[in-house]
Amino acid sequence: MPMEILKQIKYMPARAAGGCTDRILRVDLSRREINIEKLAPDFKDKYIGGRGYALKAIWDGTTGDTRYDSPENILIMASGPLGNEPGFPGTGKFIVGTISPMTGTFIDSNVGGHFGPLLKLAGFDALAVTGISKEEAVILIDGDAGTIAIAEAPKYDKETDDGALSYGERLLKEVNNGEYSDCLAAVSAGRGALHARYGVIHSLYYDRRRHRIRAKQAGRGGTGTVMRAKGLKSIVVRSSLPKANGNHPVDKAGVRAAGRALKQVINKADPTQLHLSAWGTTILSEYMDKFHIFPVENYQYGQSPDSVKLFAHVFLDNYFSHRLPDGCYYGCNLACAKGAENVALTRGPGAGRKVSVDGPEYETVGAVACMGIFDPQFVMEYNWYCDQYGIDVISTGVTTAFFMECLQRGFLTVDDIGYELKFGSIAAANKCLHQIAGGRGFGKVVGQGVARGKKWVAHKYAARHKATEDEVMAELNKFGMEVKGLEFSMYITKESLAQQGGYGFSLKGPQHDEAWLIFIDQVYQELPTLEDKAAALKWFPLIRTWFNATGLCKLHWIDVRNPEAAATDEPSKNLPTLAHYVDYLNATTGSHKNLQDILDDSERLYILQKLINLRQGKGTRASDQIPLRAMAPAFFNEYQSRADYYDRWLKQNGGARKLPASPKQRHKMLIERRKREYQQLCDAVYERKGFTPEGIPEREIVAKFGLMDEKAERLLGEMGV
Amino acid sequence: MKPDVKVIIEFLGMQRSATGADRIEMPITAKSRVDDALDYVRNKYPRLELDEGMVLVTVNQEIAPREQVLKADDTISFLPFISGG
Repeated sequence: MPMEILKQIKYMPARAAGGCTDRILRVDLSRREINIEKLAPDFKDKYIGGRGYALKAIWDGTTGDTRYDSPENILIMASGPLGNEPGFPGTGKFIVGTISPMTGTFIDSNVGGHFGPLLKLAGFDALAVTGISKEEAVILIDGDAGTIAIAEAPKYDKETDDGALSYGERLLKEVNNGEYSDCLAAVSAGRGALHARYGVIHSLYYDRRRHRIRAKQAGRGGTGTVMRAKGLKSIVVRSSLPKANGNHPVDKAGVRAAGRALKQVINKADPTQLHLSAWGTTILSEYMDKFHIFPVENYQYGQSPDSVKLFAHVFLDNYFSHRLPDGCYYGCNLACAKGAENVALTRGPGAGRKVSVDGPEYETVGAVACMGIFDPQFVMEYNWYCDQYGIDVISTGVTTAFFMECLQRGFLTVDDIGYELKFGSIAAANKCLHQIAGGRGFGKVVGQGVARGKKWVAHKYAARHKATEDEVMAELNKFGMEVKGLEFSMYITKESLAQQGGYGFSLKGPQHDEAWLIFIDQVYQELPTLEDKAAALKWFPLIRTWFNATGLCKLHWIDVRNPEAAATDEPSKNLPTLAHYVDYLNATTGSHKNLQDILDDSERLYILQKLINLRQGKGTRASDQIPLRAMAPAFFNEYQSRADYYDRWLKQNGGARKLPASPKQRHKMLIERRKREYQQLCDAVYERKGFTPEGIPEREIVAKFGLMDEKAERLLGEMGV
Repeated sequence: MKPDVKVIIEFLGMQRSATGADRIEMPITAKSRVDDALDYVRNKYPRLELDEGMVLVTVNQEIAPREQVLKADDTISFLPFISGG
C-alpha cells in the first residue's frame, strides 16, 4: 500500500565512533520538521546517553507547565554508548523518556529489542519527537536509503489498525516488500493508549528463530499514551550495516575480552542459580511467594496456597517453547525473553484465535495474582490482550485490584461499577480489561490509574456517607498502591524497610529498576542498620541509572551472581561482574574510568532527574511518602494472616517490653512503629544523598555536577534552598 | 537423639527439576550441622551445584551459616541470589 509522505528529508547517516554518533534526530510533528542536531563532543561526557539524553532534552525543552499531551512534550528514544554490541551480552536496550500522563513528571522506561541498536546504525544516538500531528502519522527512518520521512499512517483493516502488535507487524512487512527482516525494527502504540493513561510502547523486532515479529515493552508510566497523544502510531527504522563492531569501539580486542568474560560468568552461574535462560523471569513467582512478597489481592497477602498454579514450571510445561535461545538482542546468552506459540484465546473479542505470546514475565504473573486470580491460561490471555491493546500489564492489574478492594471494603458498590469486580473473578477482570482498552463503561475510570481512581472513589463515597473527601482519601491512601501517581510493581515491601525506600524514593515512582533491595535486606540480612539501608539506597540507584544511560540490560549483573562475589565485602553489589562492565566501557569509548567515576557520572543524571521532579511538583519529601500497606499490614485481616510473625517482630524490633494484650492494639502498635521507621529512613537517606530534610538537593550538590544553570538556580531559590 | 529425628530439605525452582523432588528428609543427630545437609544432598544429587558462591542456605527461611546446628523438623533450602531485575 503506498504511503502518503507528509515530509521527507535526505541525509547521510553518521557512523558511530567509540559507541556514539553524536547526533540526535529531532522530529516536530506539528510543523512537520525533521532536523538533525549535531552534539558537541563533550555532551556525551556529561550526559552519557539513554536516560541522560532524555533527561537533558526534557530539562531544556519543557517547563513546569508541560503536560503529557502538550505539544512541547518530548518523546525521546535513546540507546547509549554501549548499546549494540553482539560481542557483549545485553546490549539491545534503549530508553523511552517523556513527561508522564501518570506522574506529570519525567518517566523513563527501558526496553529491549533491536530498535535502539538499529537507530544508532542509522546514524542517531537518540530520537526526539515533539508536536502533535493533525493526521495519524508514522515516522520512517531508512539508514540504507538515507531518508527520514513523516508519513500518514497507512490504514489496513480495523482489527489490524487497532492493535499495537498487529499494526507494527503489518507496517514492518509493508515497508520491506512484504518480508520481515532483522534489518528493520519498529516501535508502536495501540488503541488502549488512546483511552488509558498507561499505554505502552512496543519494541518490535524480527526473531529469526521463531520466524515472527516479537515484542518487548517500554511498559511503565504511559509512554504509549504520549505517543498516541502526538498522533503517532509507529516508527520504523532500517539499517543493513553489520551489527558486529557497529559501535566502532576504540579497542575491539578489549570489547571482545570483556564480553567473553561476562558470557563465561553467565554460562557458569545462571544454570545453577535462577536459570533465567530456561525459565525466564517467571521463576521469581515461587521465591516471592515463599518469602511473602507475591502481591496477592492488591498486596494484602504475600502468599497463597494457589500460587503454585502460577509457578514457572506451569508455563514451561504448558506454554513456553522449549530449546529456543530467546535473547531480545544478538549476543545475549541469558536469553530470558520467553515466549509461547499457538496459544488459543478463550475469552474476549479474539476468542477462538491462536496467537503467539511474548511472555509472560514475572510482572505479568504478579499482576494477575494481584487481582486474586491463579489461572495460567488467563495469564497468557491477559498478557496477549494487554500487548495487543498496548497497555501496561502492571498498572492494569494494580488499578483493577485497587477497585476490587474498594468493592471488598464497601467503598464502592456493584452499581457503581456495573458488575461484581471482585478478587478472583476471571470474568470480571476480563471484562474490565477490555473496557479499559476500549474506553468503555467502568474501564474509563480504571484506565486513569490508582491516583485518579482514589479521587473518583472518594468523591462518590463522601457524597453518600456524609464524610469529607479528605477523610475518605485517608482510608484509600492506606491501600491505593501508587506513589507519585505510578502504580507499584509486583513486590510486597511490608517486611523490607530498605525496599520501602526503594519504591518511595524512586524518582519515577515505584518501579523497581531504580532499587530492588528486598532480598538483600529482608532475606540475606545484609543491611542491618539504618545507615546500611541509606547507603544501599544511594549506591544501587546510581549504578542502575548508569545501565539505563548506556544501553545495557541489568539482568546479567544483578540477577546472576558471580561466584567470585562471595569473597568480597559486599557480595550483593556483585563487583567482580561490574568490573567486566567497566572494562567494556573503557574499551568501547577509550575512557579510563573506574567504578567510582561511573557512579559520579550517574549521580549527575540522578540529580538532574530530581530537579525535573521538583519543577514538576513531585520532588519533595511529601512525594516520597508511600501507602500504609507498603510499610505495614494496613488492615486487621492482613495482620491476622501473619499475627505470630508480626508479634515476634514487635518483640524483636519494637522496643516494647510487653506487648499489648489485644491483637488490635498490637496491630496499631505495629503500624506506629513502621511509620516511624519510614520517616527515620527518609532522614537518613536524604542526608546520605546531600539533600535537605525536605528531600531537596543542596546547592553544593547541584553545582558539583555542573547543573546549576539559570533554571536550577531559580528553582532552588523558590524551594528555599 | 532418636534415630527418626529428621529435617526437611526442600528444592525450589531449577533444583526441583534437577532432583525430581519437591523435598526430601534427612535424619539428623544432635551434632548435625548445615554442612552435613549440604554433603547429604551432594551425595544424593552430585550434579546439583551448591557451592558457596552459587547459593545461600536458609534454615526456616533465614540465612544460616554452614556451621549452624540443625534441630528436628528444620526446613532447609538453597536460595539463588535474587536481586530483582
